[in-house]
Amino acid sequence: MSRPGAVIEVDRNTPPVLFHFGEGIRLEKLPLGARIVYPPDPLDPIAHPERAIKRALAKPLEDDPLKSLLRRGMKLTIAFDDLSLPLPPMAAPDVRQLVMEEVIDMAAEVGIEDLHIIAALGLHRRMTEDELRHIVGERIFTTFHPDRLYQHDGEDPENNVYIGKTAKGEEVTLNRRAAESDLVIYVNLTLVPMDGGHKSMSTGLASFRSIRAHHNAKTLLASRSYMNPPDSALHHSCIRQGQLIEDTVRVFHIETTVNNHAFPAVANFMQKRETDWTAQDQAMFLATKQMTDIMPPAFKRNVFHAMRAPYGMTAVHAGQVDAVHDKTLEAVHKQINVRVEGQTDIVTLGVPYLGPYNINAPMNPILVVCMGLGYLFNFYRNMPVLRKGGVLILTHPCRYEFDAVQHPSYIDYYDEVLADTTDPIEIEKKYELRFAEDPWFRQLYRKSHAYHGIHPHYAWIWGAHAMEHAGDVIFVGADRDVVHRLGFKCATTLEDAFEMAEQTVGRYPSVTHLRMPPIMLAEVEA
Amino acid sequence: MIADALKGKTILITGSTGFLGKSIVEKCLRSIPDIARINLGIRSSPRRPAAERLEREVLSSPAFRRLKEELGDQRFAALAAEKLAVVEIDLGRDGLGLDAAAQEQMRACDIVIHSAAAVEFDNPADLSAQTNLLGAARLVGALTASGARPHLVHISTAFVGGMLRGLVREGPPLDPGLNWRHEAEVLSNLRGPVEEESRRPEILNKLRSEARSRMGPAGTPATARATERLRERWVKDRLVERGRTHAHAMGFTDIYSFTKAMAEHAVVELHGDIPLSIVRPSIIESSLAEPFPGWLEGFRMAEPMILAFARNVLRDFSGMPDTLLDVIPADFVVNTVLAVAANPPPDSKPRIYHAASGTRNPLRLRRVPDEAEAYFTKHPLRDRYGQAIGTPKWTFPTRGELATQARTAMRFVEAAQWVVERLPLGANVTEISDDLTAERDRLDRGLNLIELYGVYTEVDCIFDTRNVMALWEKVPDAERKTFPFDPALYDWTHYFQDVHLPTVVRMSRADTSTGRRKQPSGSTAPKAESSSVRSAIERRSGRPDVLAVFDVDGTLVETNVVEYFLYMRLRAQPLEDWPAFIASMLRKGPRWLFLERRSRAEFQRSFYREYDGLDPEVMKRLGREALDAVTLRRIYPEGMRRIREHKRAGHRVLLLTGALDVVVEPLAELLDVEVDCAHLLVKDGRLSGDLQSPPPAGEARGALLQEYAERNGVVLSESFAYADSLSDLPMLEMVGTPVVVNPDARLSQVAGQRGWRVERWRMAPGNWKLPMPDPRSPEYLEAVRR
Repeated sequence: MSRPGAVIEVDRNTPPVLFHFGEGIRLEKLPLGARIVYPPDPLDPIAHPERAIKRALAKPLEDDPLKSLLRRGMKLTIAFDDLSLPLPPMAAPDVRQLVMEEVIDMAAEVGIEDLHIIAALGLHRRMTEDELRHIVGERIFTTFHPDRLYQHDGEDPENNVYIGKTAKGEEVTLNRRAAESDLVIYVNLTLVPMDGGHKSMSTGLASFRSIRAHHNAKTLLASRSYMNPPDSALHHSCIRQGQLIEDTVRVFHIETTVNNHAFPAVANFMQKRETDWTAQDQAMFLATKQMTDIMPPAFKRNVFHAMRAPYGMTAVHAGQVDAVHDKTLEAVHKQINVRVEGQTDIVTLGVPYLGPYNINAPMNPILVVCMGLGYLFNFYRNMPVLRKGGVLILTHPCRYEFDAVQHPSYIDYYDEVLADTTDPIEIEKKYELRFAEDPWFRQLYRKSHAYHGIHPHYAWIWGAHAMEHAGDVIFVGADRDVVHRLGFKCATTLEDAFEMAEQTVGRYPSVTHLRMPPIMLAEVEA
Repeated sequence: MIADALKGKTILITGSTGFLGKSIVEKCLRSIPDIARINLGIRSSPRRPAAERLEREVLSSPAFRRLKEELGDQRFAALAAEKLAVVEIDLGRDGLGLDAAAQEQMRACDIVIHSAAAVEFDNPADLSAQTNLLGAARLVGALTASGARPHLVHISTAFVGGMLRGLVREGPPLDPGLNWRHEAEVLSNLRGPVEEESRRPEILNKLRSEARSRMGPAGTPATARATERLRERWVKDRLVERGRTHAHAMGFTDIYSFTKAMAEHAVVELHGDIPLSIVRPSIIESSLAEPFPGWLEGFRMAEPMILAFARNVLRDFSGMPDTLLDVIPADFVVNTVLAVAANPPPDSKPRIYHAASGTRNPLRLRRVPDEAEAYFTKHPLRDRYGQAIGTPKWTFPTRGELATQARTAMRFVEAAQWVVERLPLGANVTEISDDLTAERDRLDRGLNLIELYGVYTEVDCIFDTRNVMALWEKVPDAERKTFPFDPALYDWTHYFQDVHLPTVVRMSRADTSTGRRKQPSGSTAPKAESSSVRSAIERRSGRPDVLAVFDVDGTLVETNVVEYFLYMRLRAQPLEDWPAFIASMLRKGPRWLFLERRSRAEFQRSFYREYDGLDPEVMKRLGREALDAVTLRRIYPEGMRRIREHKRAGHRVLLLTGALDVVVEPLAELLDVEVDCAHLLVKDGRLSGDLQSPPPAGEARGALLQEYAERNGVVLSESFAYADSLSDLPMLEMVGTPVVVNPDARLSQVAGQRGWRVERWRMAPGNWKLPMPDPRSPEYLEAVRR
């Protein structure tokens, strides 16, 4: 049986706890009385994923079996989540490959010829051929690429159609091929509760015009958190758009979930709680620590980014979007939820080397904010682990480092926008359209492998809720100039960070360390 | 005695555009109201007629400010019109080029004051001989020919005695047994042979190779211009050196005092029955009191040294600290000259007067740095932070020691610079190179000062002032206040602290004030970035006839043609073939570096041969791949921003580069801008390694730009060019706003000289990636099969 998550109190015998530190790790001693929250152990994966997929397709939720929906001569489109999920990328075969192979086989049996496979990347970057091949598998890639397996282009004026407005005035556009298909099958992989459901279609196959309806500072500030859809204005908006899409085009959803087995055997110590470390884990930790301390960043990055996660599939559901997504969320919650009692004055977090937007690239300062103040902070239900006005302490080297190919607009955002202001709302007023409509960034998004011009802004506002909620944000071990540009504070050591935090939260604060990744969702009770 | 004697007299002054000349004119106008007329001997210059020179170069001088204030502008103009007249005199021509009217004016003169001279110590020998020696001889000749017998006051220099020790009497100058006519002949005809020598192959080739090493990549016209500049410099240096060496050999401090000594011989020989007085000032410095304290024009002898001292540039100086340094304020010289003019010798025997502080008020060399130290301790010069600059302590080594020291340091700096400029590091060493250039300049200035003036501090003599003092005795008490010239009348401390040093500082416009500069507030708030280029873009916004032309390699992208080639070739080769390939490239490396340094075009020609026999289609595909793998990864974000700013402003944007079409065109397409780049000829479906047209480097790049501008109606004077290397110089020179991006050492120097804007663009850190073979590419599979 896999153990549920746990909250332990630091006493004299508690070993020092692991902090992720970009492409490095730190072992830190927390003050006595502080608590450490651990994620649940990985759930046992489904033994025969292929059989489970077949079963799900044969007995969908609130929908007809997939086979009955397929007929010869129809226009069929498969859309699938891009490589921003899961993290780290999954060891082959990817579950999306398994699902798609099943669907394609089924379509072939029926004799469907007009079949397109589209990577639903929204405003993310185009994947390289190797990355695409990794997700869909060699068989699908060689058969369909490049004519019938391709990537969505949210800036292609020909291939995005406007399909209408929601009751709240949100505009909705959709990929033309999807909009004109007789059936769209969406193949999803849900790692965190933010993903999947209506959000898949309404962001993955959309354009800036429809995405800006919910990707804005106001909506994000009203999403508390966007990791819990019922409390998330972002999701309410996505659902409205998604319903409009479902009215326009027939969509069959297939959602999968995986456990949180994020680290391969060599990095087992990252997966395990420190109290469980064996001599071998200790040795691996020491070796890794030594290596990451002396290696140049580029080398470390190559090593870290080569890691593939041995994720196991824990659920697969198909059918009507809402019915499917409810089941999916249930499976996700089962894997990642941890019950935490009460908020604390200080929350510490180690920011790892990888986030959804820097696969095979350095995590630039804006993405560090997106990861630390965005995703990691928002992993809660009910209320944040951090009390209002408390201090958030993050560890990350936060170097001035950008991938020029993937993140060109991030460079300008950092150099020009953040030098001007760090306030999400003000930035949005002044710079949203300038970045979204910049012809150079548009070209790079469409023709190269760059994130959309507006994407750095989305990464930034992903942290807006934390920026507003926290009384102070302190980065440990980071590049001072960079952290100042981001508008936060910088400390050399964790001890110094605690000292600095006392100015805001007083002597003897309560402290919680969220030991992520592997990811977890804190269900905070008052 | 003076005013009376000069009452109703007509005076001719030569050299009235000079410092001493105009001081004399001013004093006459102000203190001798009854003077009949002052004729100013002025030569029309090619730019200005003589009358205009009077207005622009004499009357508008600060020397006349006091008079203008006392009289008001109108009355001053009336006075000038009444008393002053221009006589067109050209001392460079026999007979002075006088017309009939001028001859008449000349004949009407009662007194002629000859103060025209080429006073720089480092003038070329021929110029000094022409002006100082022949000029004086011609003046006397013309006077004799005109039949007039005015009192001639010849202004010479105290140093005509040469490098003497002990007391120097007011007697004949040093005579090493030379014939002044012969000296004049030889010296003034020196230029011809030196010019001819400079064109000799061994010299010209040396100059050309130097010009090439400095400007080679900028192309033939630029190199030719540089060679000619170097040749002119060479000729001048030779002439200066000839003059200096000759003067030293004949026992004189420099060519100035040598030619002045020869001139005295000439004047004494030629004057016949014309009454002749010779006034020999020593080192003339700023006025003590008149027309205002500290009146000085042009930087003369001590000023550069004093400033160098105050800026801590001249860390030491040679000389014997207890020798006398003979300095005399300008107004004392003026008064001496007027007193002499008023007292013509009764017979034809010339009288000689030392206008010097000499025995009357001796100034020792040590006193000068001491006074300067005292002054600059109280009123220090400021560095760019506003900090006071400390003054050095001079230890007075011998000139030889000092020069050797400086030369050794110089050689070291030059060697370092030679190495740094030849390192294939481009923009990375620019700062070091600029520092070295600054240090070389400092040493160069120091060495120059040592060579020029060091000798004066070793002149261990005392100028006797008996004749002058005898004249002073004759001046009645009433006039002594108006025309003071007894050196004992002032005190050196007052002179230095209150008059001369403040003048030097004022004239150098050096920053000494603490009050004017606001103290820094200590605010660390980020300051808004300002760019003059940006404002220029805004000013010319919305004009389609404005072009922004960009070089690519090194300006927009941190790459060069070699790296693209390596990328494309390595990608198509299995790893085990890499070592052999890299070794073959390394073997050719030094040759390419050499060619690159000499000429970008030659390098590109030679390098592109490596493409011989490659498949153009494959190269095209690899070039497209290189866009994501190399170009976009190594691009300068600032460069991309700038291009977009230009596009937003409605300007045309052109990429003008010597890089190959296969790698540049994908970028241009993405940027949606025009491109002009190199194309390789295709023969039988394979690249030939030959270029379709000459590589666009050096002047060819300029020509391409010109051509483009004409074809498209572009106004180049309003356009922008961005480039990083000397080979882009012709292109940069052509446009109104050249911007130098990440310059190499040589371009950085040029940009510094011309005041061009220099920007440093950086690629985003964390983007270096090794090209890895692509095992799926057909070329790779092909190579493996082989």
